Amino acid sequence: MDAQFLIEVETLATVLDQLDYYGVLKLEPGAGAADVKAAYYRESRTFHPDRYAAVESVEVREMIGRIYRRINEAYTVLRDDQKRVKYQADVSGPDRRNKLRFTEAEESAVQADQKRKQEEQLGQTPNGRKFYSAALIEINAQRWEAAERALKGALMYESGNARFKEALAMVQGELEKSRPKGDYRIK
Amino acid sequence: MSSDIALGIDLGTSYSCVAIASGGPPQVIPNEWGERTHASVVSFLEDGHVLVGNDAKKNIITNAENTVYSAKRLIGRFYFSDEVKKAQAVMPYGIIEGPNNAVRIKVRERVMAVPEISALVLKEMKAVAETHLGHPVTKAVVTCPAYFNDNQRQATKDAGRIAGLEVLRIINEPTAAALAYGFGKDITQKICVYDLGGGTFDVSILEIGKDVFEVLSTAGDTYLGGDDFDDRIMAWLAEDFLKKHGLDLRQNKFCLQMLKEAGERAKIEVGRDGVADISVPGICQSPEGQVLDLAQRLGAEQFNKMVMDLVQCTFKVCDEALQSARLTAADVDAVILVGGPTRLPIVRSSVRHYFQKEPLTGVDPDEVVALGAAIQGAALLNRDAAEYGQASYLLDVTPLTLRVGTVGGFSERIIDKNTPIPIEKSKTFTTSRDGQDRVKIRVYQGEESKVDGCELLGEFEFTGFRVGYRGEVQIQVTFEIDSNGIVNVSATDLETGQRTSSTISLSSGLSEQDLKKAVDDNAGIELARTQHAV
Repeated sequence: MDAQFLIEVETLATVLDQLDYYGVLKLEPGAGAADVKAAYYRESRTFHPDRYAAVESVEVREMIGRIYRRINEAYTVLRDDQKRVKYQADVSGPDRRNKLRFTEAEESAVQADQKRKQEEQLGQTPNGRKFYSAALIEINAQRWEAAERALKGALMYESGNARFKEALAMVQGELEKSRPKGDYRIK
Repeated sequence: MSSDIALGIDLGTSYSCVAIASGGPPQVIPNEWGERTHASVVSFLEDGHVLVGNDAKKNIITNAENTVYSAKRLIGRFYFSDEVKKAQAVMPYGIIEGPNNAVRIKVRERVMAVPEISALVLKEMKAVAETHLGHPVTKAVVTCPAYFNDNQRQATKDAGRIAGLEVLRIINEPTAAALAYGFGKDITQKICVYDLGGGTFDVSILEIGKDVFEVLSTAGDTYLGGDDFDDRIMAWLAEDFLKKHGLDLRQNKFCLQMLKEAGERAKIEVGRDGVADISVPGICQSPEGQVLDLAQRLGAEQFNKMVMDLVQCTFKVCDEALQSARLTAADVDAVILVGGPTRLPIVRSSVRHYFQKEPLTGVDPDEVVALGAAIQGAALLNRDAAEYGQASYLLDVTPLTLRVGTVGGFSERIIDKNTPIPIEKSKTFTTSRDGQDRVKIRVYQGEESKVDGCELLGEFEFTGFRVGYRGEVQIQVTFEIDSNGIVNVSATDLETGQRTSSTISLSSGLSEQDLKKAVDDNAGIELARTQHAV
């Protein structure tokens, strides 16, 4: 191992806690998924611990191990589209110093955000979401009767959901259109 | 010289294989009789010698109680697990409870831990290599199923140590197979490794970018393998026999072994020839003293029907792996088959149908894992790697979500499955009582939020931090998964930065003391090498 590389390892190990994930992967802030992957491969070729498995100094091996674990951590966060957006916002914000590592708090923030979006789009209750998703499939296939049944099911769980009601009105309108005119119905 | 060689050992449920790569393409090392794979069977002979390999397999019938097979199904499991209960019902050798809910195997009044049995298989692999090379070997890379949990990996590593081997690395079988396939080929592909072994099924999706082998996802079933195919044939044979003669062959452990052997042979024959003629003369005696024979014919169509649901199960696992990798079957450039049962036409055609692609047949499914392990062994010993770079880099993942137990039998995720390893993650715990001087956490692996559905890895107790009012003391616990997929837990007092001492109060593994004793015991056991001459 040449002296220059050793210096790089030592420097990197010392400043590791002051780098953000872009710095760890030697990327420009705001880099996209493809760049992240390319950088991960590049850094893996340099810092993969297997490369140094036969190096005698335990200290050097530990430093490289610590760097590589951080590289993996950076990759895990930056390869995920949702986490990357959140992380990018965090490290460009005023609280940058405390946001360099993506911890449980950020993780749960991303999850809560995802849940909120899902609820907004599909409903607040699991059963409501289930029925509403089924209804969307039926609407797409223009199976209006099945869609109506599914939407009524969804409304049983979330009677106040405006989105459900709107969809039901639309479906019932379609049903009305497809019904033959002038026929009488048996009660 | 000997220190510069590392063996690649595929420690399989049914068969094991040893290979070496030293300056040149990796090669499987055959034993003195030219056999390239060796049954993972350990037979304890009357004279105190131990017979391992294909000869020992013959003893499953003649020396049933003293012959241990399929030990890998038990490795790293707790005594109360379903797999152990299932094994107890069918295995002729003694499976008993040891300390800390561990499993022990009792043969000829000798009580051994499961890694001690696997260590004897490894010892045989080591002996095969040493005989071939003409000098001692002390280092090895040992493979395990990708879906193995921490307990099973730790136990596999212990087995290596007991056998007198320095285990440089535990690598995943599908990853090893991918390495053997893509090594030195300079390809950029997404590949799927479909690894159906004797007792386990694994799927790994990898992206190979020249010298980098990145595992995108892995999924598996540690309860599904070729043995289950044998079981189907056995059940069919036994039911049929019961109808004809009113005798249940499964009630007698001796008959059961004959039945098992017949089942396995029938599976291989039907896969190779399309039909199997099963004949076991004198399999049992009727109560009237009449000697009964077992004779049946198994056609391909009938066999396919018997095992179709098992084959379908493997594709559910494939679905899961592809979904985790965010790919579809069509994105996969190549499919590599690993494991003996992938020779069956039903498996091949189903794989072809699922991936809409001809699976690769250029690599021997029984040997490819050992070859990959040998390549990795050579790479880890390469001193020049630090200077000039190494020929390949394995970027593997953890197969299971790491969790800590919380209140009410629930758990919290710490490290998600399919996260690249090595990795570390910290979590802060606070004390819940005034003057609390110890913190206990339980660590689990699994995909369910209820701990009952996960595997307990151990209970860690931290002491030696500041004592204060409740909620005041913060302990940062760091969970690390190393390159072997093995979990390490440590803790520091967040305010003083002092490392607290930790003890594992509950674990399926062997204590240091047990291990040392096992190493000595193993060294004292002599392997029998004579049976072939008889």
